[in-house]
Amino acid sequence: MNLRRPIIVAGLLLWSLLPLIWQLQTSFRTPDALVGGSLTSGWTLENYRTVLQGSPSFWRYMVNSALVGTATTGLTLSLAVPAAYGLRQQAATLKRGLLLLLVAAAVFPYVLLFLALLELARQLGWGNQLLALAIPYSGLSLPLAVLLLQAGIADLPNEIEDAARLEGLNLWQRLHRIVLPLLAPTLSSTAILVFLFSWNEYPIALTWISRSELLTLPTAMARIAGSSIYAVPYGAFAAATVLGSLPLLLLVLLFQRAIVSGLTQGAVKG
Amino acid sequence: MNFISHFQGQPFATNKVESYSRGKSLSLLLLAPALALLAIVFVWPLLRYGWLSFHADSVITGLVAIPNGGANWIRLLSDGRFWQDALQTLRFAGVSVGLELVLGLALALALHQRGPGRGVLRVLCLLPWALPTTVMALGWRWIFNDPHGPINALLLQLGLPSQGFLSTPSTTWLVSVLADVWKTTPFVALLLLAGLQSIPTDLEEAMRLEGASPWQRLRRLTLPLLIPYLGLCCLFRVAQAMGVFDLIQVLTDGGPAGSTESLALYAYLNAMRFLDFGYSASVMLGMFLLLLVLSALVLVVQRRFQQQQELT
Repeated sequence: MNLRRPIIVAGLLLWSLLPLIWQLQTSFRTPDALVGGSLTSGWTLENYRTVLQGSPSFWRYMVNSALVGTATTGLTLSLAVPAAYGLRQQAATLKRGLLLLLVAAAVFPYVLLFLALLELARQLGWGNQLLALAIPYSGLSLPLAVLLLQAGIADLPNEIEDAARLEGLNLWQRLHRIVLPLLAPTLSSTAILVFLFSWNEYPIALTWISRSELLTLPTAMARIAGSSIYAVPYGAFAAATVLGSLPLLLLVLLFQRAIVSGLTQGAVKG
Repeated sequence: MNFISHFQGQPFATNKVESYSRGKSLSLLLLAPALALLAIVFVWPLLRYGWLSFHADSVITGLVAIPNGGANWIRLLSDGRFWQDALQTLRFAGVSVGLELVLGLALALALHQRGPGRGVLRVLCLLPWALPTTVMALGWRWIFNDPHGPINALLLQLGLPSQGFLSTPSTTWLVSVLADVWKTTPFVALLLLAGLQSIPTDLEEAMRLEGASPWQRLRRLTLPLLIPYLGLCCLFRVAQAMGVFDLIQVLTDGGPAGSTESLALYAYLNAMRFLDFGYSASVMLGMFLLLLVLSALVLVVQRRFQQQQELT
């Protein structure tokens, strides 16, 4: 028992990190070193320079993704919080039905929706509008967000709200002064999960955005891949991978507790 | 202090207390914006596909929708590429999810034992899951590159010939499974760990005292109590794996010779490359129906297990 755990932990470490470490070392190698040099030579920062000085610079994609992520998170929460709160007041059967639909929507592989959403974007002139992406992204993250938030709200004792009602606080005041502060932990874990979804989303960004200075991170990466099947600039690409992963690494390090509690709460209540 | 002034000082004069029914209609209003957006994003596309799948809408018709009866659906039934992709997607989903559940359960059981560094382990579990799929898909392409990737470099060093992992159909789909398992197993483990933590420890202690072996405890206590979690994980993962798109598009673009093409990629190609929107809609609905059947299957199996458990 005592010996098994360290072995499994070491295995997990290797399994999770080896591909990432390989990317990291690739990002510092010259093209010559990548096709069979020794470990003592061929180290360079050139790949990072290429990626950051390209046109558009890699920073641009990160900024784009961050902008869309922030807008998506804001929009999703501002719709999901009232919805989760409203859900609590519904009759049991209606509530149960809505929750089931939300679970179905959360499980649904959303890639199936891309064509109709693309048509919508064309009709409304939302193609190549970076922030317009926040609208489908919010719609797609709403099921999970509402499920998590309503689970958080359900955990709040009824008495607090009844007391507030008797004190004459109206709906908005109750939401704003009582429910939101108590909900802060759930709120933050939901926000992070929504942000992660938006940061990583691919098929919709792929079909909505074609101008290269508006690409988000995943689409920019894939565009490098599509440039040529035989001569992908792996060094430069690895540098992009490392840069693109850093914000996520930071996010996961800072908020791992919130992410885990969000995910597990979703599993428990779902 | 007299009664009247006492009550006047209180903020809860009856006219200020919201009536319950008014609160109820207000709460419906709170739900409305979210429901509206959900309808646009989830319901509208499916309705639109239903309509589109009974129309010819492609470059041939000048991108104008013309009703064509059930022609798209008849074509779908006899479209070898659709059924081949369906089998390939099922194979990918079946093997990936199977491995993820088994490995994820093992990992969760290992992590469940108390020990140092739980926070660090969680971060490591989350990292592969949090990275964009497209990013690591390219990473895997480099790792399995022929002949310069590390795997082939190792093979060459051992005096073995390098392998075209991504140019041979029999190995390419396995690489895609590996990439999916790498990304998702730790995530599955995390969800199952939440399930494990919900099992009261005194039950396990009681079984231990009765002399049950670890294997018996797992079979008779842990697994039965985990069934709801396993079922949910399975449902979620099967649905996501059946819709695999990002990974396949970037890793192999469906190749070699279409041997890794998934249904979602086929639907995408129909719309974006062949510009045949009517047929693309049929492919997507066909995929949706397949998914409904599979989900129902997962739920039935889960219920079966659960009932069996309640009987014994």
